[in-house]
Amino acid sequence: MGKRKAWSPTLQACLAIGAMGVVLLPVFLSQTPWPTVARDYLMQYGQDESGARNLVSAIYLGYRAFDTLGETIVLLVAVIGTMGLLSRVESLVNTVGDDDNTIQTVSAFSLRGDKRSSHVLRTHLLEVVTGKIGPIVLLFGFYVMLYGHLSPGGGFQGGVIIASGIVFLALGNQQDNTSALSKSSILGGIESVSFLLFIIVAMSGIFFGKGFFGNPLADSAYPVGFIVLLNSIIGLKVGASIGFMCIAMMGGHD
Amino acid sequence: MVERALLLCLLLIGFWGVVAKKNIIKKIFGLNILNAAAVMLFILEGNRIGSEAPILESGLAQVVDPIPQALMLTAIVIGVCVTALALALAVHLYQITGSFDIETIRERIQDET
Repeated sequence: MGKRKAWSPTLQACLAIGAMGVVLLPVFLSQTPWPTVARDYLMQYGQDESGARNLVSAIYLGYRAFDTLGETIVLLVAVIGTMGLLSRVESLVNTVGDDDNTIQTVSAFSLRGDKRSSHVLRTHLLEVVTGKIGPIVLLFGFYVMLYGHLSPGGGFQGGVIIASGIVFLALGNQQDNTSALSKSSILGGIESVSFLLFIIVAMSGIFFGKGFFGNPLADSAYPVGFIVLLNSIIGLKVGASIGFMCIAMMGGHD
Repeated sequence: MVERALLLCLLLIGFWGVVAKKNIIKKIFGLNILNAAAVMLFILEGNRIGSEAPILESGLAQVVDPIPQALMLTAIVIGVCVTALALALAVHLYQITGSFDIETIRERIQDET
């Protein structure tokens, strides 16, 4: 530690924020006209080339599918890292005082039987609502995933909704019957198998002379089938991995 | 113009959370707010050349630019990944040191070494 007197933390923070604001002000207030050329091209050819009416799907699964591959790898790495860190956290309940009035830890959500229902956060409201709404949320997630080429949605959005359905199902079982969807082995299996499928489907274009991530159905009557397939695979993968991470953070990894 | 100024404020709030807050969980939330501000700025930029959703139907004239939306899809997912990893690290630190406060964490780690 140096001898010089340190500035107060508030002053340091104010200075940093002021500098950040000065740097970012031109970025936020720029009036440069946004180029329309890409939008016009996509409006004219996007649907014919990819088959998807939703241009966002056409981009992230057609034109820029490599981005999506990288993104799924990032998701995989995040899941591996989170699991690696959380698996060392054996039980948080022991490290916190056992005063019943404090909200101890989320870890207690995974307790079995009587201990579980005595947890302060486990109200009947939570169990009834999440248990009933879980299957509906799952269904809605699959709808968003499968209709991603026609309507707002897609694999990532549907996957996140599926993940919330999985979390609801994991929270809402009143009689202690665990659904297979909250088991880490099943979720991890879905995730790895869907990543493998994603790679295989991505390579399938090679055998049709379209190249990596080429659409093998491009010349057929339904070129959109490729996007639907990729959307479903990504939806399963995102749903499984985010549900996996959420359940692990609730303490249900065993 | 107002919405841009508000987004700048939002981004600076997130930055302030990262820089000035002592609690790790609050820092992670600040990072999240920063991420959200950047995402919304991109959506706003793409919104400048049109007003309709980029889902092609007959009779659409001026749709928004779909490219920033597709890129922000990536950014959102990666933001979620970063948040999850950071929260897992925070839990791990909490288990080692028993605190979420960075000053306390630093003291306890220095005490042990």
